[in-house]
Amino acid sequence: MSGDVRGTQEPARGRVVLAAVVTLVGALLAGCTSSGYDPTPLPTASAAPSPTSSPSPSGSAAPVCDDPLASYAPISPLPAPGSMPSGSTMATIAERGRLIVGVSGDSLLLGARNPISGQLEGFDIDMARLVSQAIFGDPDKIELRVITAAERIPLLEDGSVDLVARNMTITCARWEQIAFSAEYYRSGQKVLVPLGSSATSLADLAGQRVCAPAGSTSLVKLEDFPEVVPVSAATHTGCLVKFQQGEVDAITGDDTVLAGLAAQDPYAQVVGPAFTAEPYGLGVNQANTDLVRFVNAVLAQAVADGRWTQSYDRWLADALGAAPAPPVPDYGRG
Amino acid sequence: MTRTAPTTAPASARPGADPYASPLPTVASPAARAGQRMQRARLGVQGTPGRMRLVSAALVVVGLLVGLAAAQSFSVADGALVRADRNAAQLVRLQDIQTLLVRADADATNAFVVGGLEPADQRADYDEAVDRAVQQVAFAARAQPADGEALAALSSAIQSYTSGVVQARAANRQGLPLGAQYLREASAGLRADALPLLGALTSANEERVQTEFDTAGRAQVLALVAGLLGLVIVAGALVWLARRTHRYVNVPVAGAGVVILVVLVASVVALGSVAAAVADLRAGSYASARALAGARIAAFDAKANESLTLVSRGSGAAFEAAWQESSAVTSSLVAEAAQIDPAAADLPGGWDAYTALHQEIRSLDDGGGWEQAVAAAISREPGSANATFDAFDAASGEQLTAASEATSSGLRDARSGLALAGWLCGLAGVLAALLAWWGLSQRIEEYR
Repeated sequence: MSGDVRGTQEPARGRVVLAAVVTLVGALLAGCTSSGYDPTPLPTASAAPSPTSSPSPSGSAAPVCDDPLASYAPISPLPAPGSMPSGSTMATIAERGRLIVGVSGDSLLLGARNPISGQLEGFDIDMARLVSQAIFGDPDKIELRVITAAERIPLLEDGSVDLVARNMTITCARWEQIAFSAEYYRSGQKVLVPLGSSATSLADLAGQRVCAPAGSTSLVKLEDFPEVVPVSAATHTGCLVKFQQGEVDAITGDDTVLAGLAAQDPYAQVVGPAFTAEPYGLGVNQANTDLVRFVNAVLAQAVADGRWTQSYDRWLADALGAAPAPPVPDYGRG
Repeated sequence: MTRTAPTTAPASARPGADPYASPLPTVASPAARAGQRMQRARLGVQGTPGRMRLVSAALVVVGLLVGLAAAQSFSVADGALVRADRNAAQLVRLQDIQTLLVRADADATNAFVVGGLEPADQRADYDEAVDRAVQQVAFAARAQPADGEALAALSSAIQSYTSGVVQARAANRQGLPLGAQYLREASAGLRADALPLLGALTSANEERVQTEFDTAGRAQVLALVAGLLGLVIVAGALVWLARRTHRYVNVPVAGAGVVILVVLVASVVALGSVAAAVADLRAGSYASARALAGARIAAFDAKANESLTLVSRGSGAAFEAAWQESSAVTSSLVAEAAQIDPAAADLPGGWDAYTALHQEIRSLDDGGGWEQAVAAAISREPGSANATFDAFDAASGEQLTAASEATSSGLRDARSGLALAGWLCGLAGVLAALLAWWGLSQRIEEYR
């Protein structure tokens, strides 16, 4: 337009300058970073296993055997404390200097830590101490290891404990993995419900949440009542915590255990007749039949000399009434 | 303005006013009117003086922008350092909360090993730790609104932990085994809920510190780019002027170039030293503070697991495994801190002294001596595990405070003079703009 030869170049140069200026402004704006931060993200619900949730045992068909209560005949005569037959499991234990027993730490009356003395005590613990007394002549040469219901069989199998004295029901299925002493107490499954509840058995608890420890026969029994919502916890005390926090409506378990729970919560009651028979035995590694025979001899002696009744009276009489006749031992395995 | 003729044409010519006198179309549509305005604008910058005006305006803008860019660089660096300091302070706070919580848990679990009668001083220590943790959560929420939601969740988690411990105590006081179960569940809940939240908070704030460190380190780029662009433009203008005006150098415009060069060099040097200081802190006291804080958290976690192993009485293998894991973390982080700053290795007895005592407790318990193990674990005599742990706690706490303070003061030092430098650069930009305007207006005058 101006007729100047540079006329076509000038606007081009102008555009370069303009572009440079725009770049500068852009850079300037880019420098103005916002000082606001994104909100801190919350961690996603952790998949970490809580101590109270364990897988429930599989409901595969329970193996049957003619007589689950049949144990091995007692060793006769019972060796004197301190002179165990050489090569026997008892001799190995004597050499170690202590008997290792898996027990419950929170089943009041059966096996629980007394928070005041710090000692573990209860009916099951007394049974374990009878064995220690028989091996060492001292009921205190014993290491009590607090274990959960689900740990009973694995710890016996891997030899971590010599004995399990933890309200353990003798069943055919368990005989396939471990060995049992003769029956030392006959318990039965009942339910614990809030004070004022009209329920007297699991059948009355349709649609309600009922808690039992993982790996226990009580939890397996819940499968017979499909209307009941089963909830598992690591221990019965874990169930009581859930019960007190309103996470479950009732607890099922052996009357002995439930008596211990009810003793800790005045708003809980144990109701109904027992709807199962729960014969308790001391668990032993399957290979150690000599220890089973030894334990059976010890138990027979304790029944005979009244120490069994003495222990029952001390722990269970208040909650479950006067001592019944001790279970008649069955030595059907020869 | 030499060619203003067309602009004098009555743009507002009305139809029928004087159709024969007007060279313009009788009907001036709005589009045509806009066309006329553009025409006038183009003619205004046409020709050499017009282009000079354009260049003058461009140089003024460039001068101001270079000054502004440099000022902005300083302000970005300053702001980033301030925020880095605040985020680092938030990190210290969060780690304090985490340490307090694991310390409270170590106290509570250790007391349960003793039995129903909690030692009064241990209970007081627990109470103090929880109180301080709760207060720190409130302070942290005020300091960083972005952490608000996570801190609210943390607050609930602490609440349910403490109520679990209170319930555990109440049951324990009545001699009920239920108490230990409440404690175990509270402790597990703390690890399942509160600690992951603190982990998320810590990593978010670590990221923020890193971001601000990066921003402060990069602040000089803007000043550098702007300065170089400014110099190129000024140089281009000088060459163009030299061709047009037959003078070799337009002194004021060259002066503007010199001012821009000074701004460029000064800001690159000053901001470069900020970047260097940040890099030093990052690899030095900041890294050392991070390592020490991590070491302390893992240490208290290990201590709580030692107690939980004993509370579990024989079935605490999982807790002992957790102890091993935490202890390894503490050892490696203490070593890391020592590598960064040998003074930080000055932990009397260090972690190994406690580790050795822990092994003694474990061998007592594993050997069937649970009672002896408990006695060793709860003793507060000199040389006991608790006393040795307390010594580690005190020494590492002191080192952590020192490292955190060094970081904070390092950041403050790096900031000194940045605000003033920013203002000076802004003024220099104005000066460059004035010089350029002056230099070109001299030439434009010659066309009048």
